[in-house]
Amino acid sequence: MTEILRLTGVCKAFGGIVVADNVTLSIDAGEIVGLIGPNGAGKTSLFNLISGVVKPDAGRIVLHGEPIDRMPLYRRARAGIARTWQNMLLFTSMSVMENLLIAPRDYPGESVLRLAFGRGDIRRSEAEMRARGLAILARMDLTQAADSLVTDLPFGHQKLVGLARTLMNDGALLLLDEPMAGVEGAAYETMQRVVREEAASGRAVCVVEHNVSFIKDLCTRAVFMAQGRILQTGSVHELLASKVLTELYFGV
Amino acid sequence: MEYFMSVSVMIAIFVILAASYNLVIGYGGLATVAHPIFFALGAYTAALLAIHTGLPAVLCVLAGAAVATVASVLLAASSLRVSGDYLLIASLGFQLGLLQVIRNFEWTGGPGGLTDIPATITGAARTPAYLAICGAAAVATVVFIAWIVRGPYGRAITAMRDEELAFTALGRNAMSMKVALFAIGCGIAGIAGGLYAFYFQYLSPEQFDVLQSAAILTMVVLGGMGTTWGPVVGAALLLAVPQAITFLDLPPSIMAPMQGIIFTGLVLVFLFVRPAGLIGASGRGAMPAALGVHDHSGDGA
Repeated sequence: MTEILRLTGVCKAFGGIVVADNVTLSIDAGEIVGLIGPNGAGKTSLFNLISGVVKPDAGRIVLHGEPIDRMPLYRRARAGIARTWQNMLLFTSMSVMENLLIAPRDYPGESVLRLAFGRGDIRRSEAEMRARGLAILARMDLTQAADSLVTDLPFGHQKLVGLARTLMNDGALLLLDEPMAGVEGAAYETMQRVVREEAASGRAVCVVEHNVSFIKDLCTRAVFMAQGRILQTGSVHELLASKVLTELYFGV
Repeated sequence: MEYFMSVSVMIAIFVILAASYNLVIGYGGLATVAHPIFFALGAYTAALLAIHTGLPAVLCVLAGAAVATVASVLLAASSLRVSGDYLLIASLGFQLGLLQVIRNFEWTGGPGGLTDIPATITGAARTPAYLAICGAAAVATVVFIAWIVRGPYGRAITAMRDEELAFTALGRNAMSMKVALFAIGCGIAGIAGGLYAFYFQYLSPEQFDVLQSAAILTMVVLGGMGTTWGPVVGAALLLAVPQAITFLDLPPSIMAPMQGIIFTGLVLVFLFVRPAGLIGASGRGAMPAALGVHDHSGDGA
């Protein structure tokens, strides 16, 4: 498969705390890679390094063969990295659809100049983006909620909106930070189905998740991290069978 | 009548100031107190150009706006990279420092102020003419800002204020959006300054000091931060009500403190009774509803 993301020797420390220690990892199109490890292992930090929230101290991050490690956060999103957040970070004063409309990689209505000179463009793209948003919401059975305030939705649905928002970015890499935390029932099934569909459509997906059965059901490959280092990579079953890792992870 | 019109000119100028400040602080969420200094930059630039070059008044005012805009971009570029609290401190330093510069140069008139600003319009029609000009400028400002914060751009502004990190991680350049909002707001304050200079024909540093920051902020908060009409109502109320008691025939020793008491009293009452301002809805959703991107009223919120 085509390689989407490659990290080579990525290091990052905050003062004395090492969050990434010589991390080397590659993710291909269509893969769902599970990032597992105890709290403080550096999983979310790795997401922050890839998406550009923080810059690495050393090492290279390459997307589609292009080095991106010096790119600011917003440009990495435009380059095709879409991510969700542990605590969702939804735009809480806006409706579901409005949340989605902020997310496309390029949107002409959000520039003062184009506001003045491109009204027609804006109207067209507005309609187009709404249609795209509705299509995504339909896949999640959230069509009815399109115009609801996000904070009025049940928690599981808010998590789905977080995913829907990132799907408006049609880039090649999807980073999901604990998508299943606090999600159960129908929303759980939906989340699983949509993530699987996205990978099947050729996206590279990387998931940080503590829910082992979710990882087992979904991931094609798992990466075990502790103290900023990748300790082992392999199939989910291999990893869960590894004695060293279960000791580290579960403390047994 | 002359008196009413003169107060109205003042209200119009402060509507421009309050509305532009609202764009920066209410919509943009940028905590700055330097708005009066951009007002001053516009006023002094326009006045000095009018005195020394004889350029047409319109060009003087536009030049004032340009200087205010450039200065605001300089302040923004240096302080917006760091987060909110730093902007507050940087803007306070900018406000105090630049005013000190104005106060100490000879060509700005120094602490005594700048006089001899050409009248431009003379005769009996002067005040009505200025009222028309300033009134039109105030209406244009309010309409222009309402237009900016509507639609996709306004939605992006709301999103940025809600969750800047998520907004940026979705490919939006929050930094450039803040600089743009700041520059537009401060440029408009520069226009207000030019109008002020030509109408009053006298500028002194005291008119632009940090107390003025408090006054403009009060207008915005009292009227309703992040609303289209809030700054208009706030400016009109806070300028008109203290003026109104001058008709009560009170001795000056009572009158002067009374105006201060009324001003402060209004602020206190509003803080308790309507924290979201006169125009702002109370409770949750007050800010976004004001942005008018979409109506949430049917959501059962």
